[in-house]
Amino acid sequence: MARKEKTLKEIFTNGLFIQNPTFVQFLGMCPTLAVTKSVESAIGMGAGVIFVLVLSNLAISLIRNLVPREVRIPIYIVIIASLVTILEMFMKAFVPDLAVSLGTFLSLIVVNCLILGRAEAFASKNGPIKSAADGLGMAIGFMGGIVLIAIFRELLGAGSITIWGDFGIDLIPKNYQIGILVQASGAFLVFGVLVAQINKIRMGRADRNEVT
Amino acid sequence: MELIAIAFGAIFVNNVVLNQFYGLCPFLGVSTKKSSALSMGMAVTFVITLSTMIAFAIYNYVLVPYEITYLSTIVFILVIASFVQLVEMFIKRFSASLYSALGVYLPLITTNCAVLGVAIDITVNSQKIFETSTPSFMMVTVYALGISLGYALIIFLFSAIREEMDAYPIKRNWEGIPIALITAFIMAMIFYGFGGIV
Repeated sequence: MARKEKTLKEIFTNGLFIQNPTFVQFLGMCPTLAVTKSVESAIGMGAGVIFVLVLSNLAISLIRNLVPREVRIPIYIVIIASLVTILEMFMKAFVPDLAVSLGTFLSLIVVNCLILGRAEAFASKNGPIKSAADGLGMAIGFMGGIVLIAIFRELLGAGSITIWGDFGIDLIPKNYQIGILVQASGAFLVFGVLVAQINKIRMGRADRNEVT
Repeated sequence: MELIAIAFGAIFVNNVVLNQFYGLCPFLGVSTKKSSALSMGMAVTFVITLSTMIAFAIYNYVLVPYEITYLSTIVFILVIASFVQLVEMFIKRFSASLYSALGVYLPLITTNCAVLGVAIDITVNSQKIFETSTPSFMMVTVYALGISLGYALIIFLFSAIREEMDAYPIKRNWEGIPIALITAFIMAMIFYGFGGIV
């Protein structure tokens, strides 16, 4: 009996929770740690990844039957690099401050293993609509992950949450902030603790499923 | 003197993994054994140093004169991917022992963001690193060598710590990546101290 085809909704939520790229698959860890100093740059990075991943999955799925297997990886890389260049130009033109704060990591979306990984694992085997749904789910899952880390780092480290430009709130007075969390090393701490807690929840759920 | 400062800064102060967050996937993925970490470190040193020199030449002699610097991301990733492929074929042809040591790690290096990151940093963002928009070839080479030696050093130290750590019991939800991240956090704090020297 053939395996039941997954519905669009299942594909979408798969990336969002079950196979969350940040906390379950550990894909694209460099931006996860580097841009989570403030919520604003995490949102910007997430939006960039959504743009690139949805379009690259769509494009790769459309040409999947035309590309010879041996040269598929270079072709995928060229498609992704072109999309990232378009994104870079857009960001530099319309949100220059954000482009500066993301810095090199904007260009480094090209080598984000999440994007190439989804192209190889999903878009090269499935139709365009499903691939786009998969890309959207994965990218939103990634954005959720980095925004969560950024909320902890910015709130506890700098006492504020900045959503966009001057639009944000100050919550914790200066004397009670943990400065190390907004330093480079703090990223490792926050990410490590969060992963451990999420593992605990997932393991608890798996144990319950075994018992029943 | 200037070159020594650049090398020291690249190895310790702006350590590529702990301070700039380049190349974390192989850092956490390959660093479970000392021997594989050493091979990975060697492969990365070799590729980063040479590909940075190539990227510097292409940027200054092709992209800048023709005013197509906006294409730098595409050009660099293609150069790096083909260069890694070339190195792999070369090593396979001439040294079987080196190939068996480095072979598996070479394809991984294409998607190691340290390679592309350093190439972009020394060209597009050179102002930030060298405090001049036209760094010399020597400065760039020393910087790339320093960065990659810093990478090799960190990945080796980290794998040594992780090997020792395997002997001790640890809570199930902290196993693997979480405890590795906490270890990296402590190492990053130590390396943060180097910032006071320069």
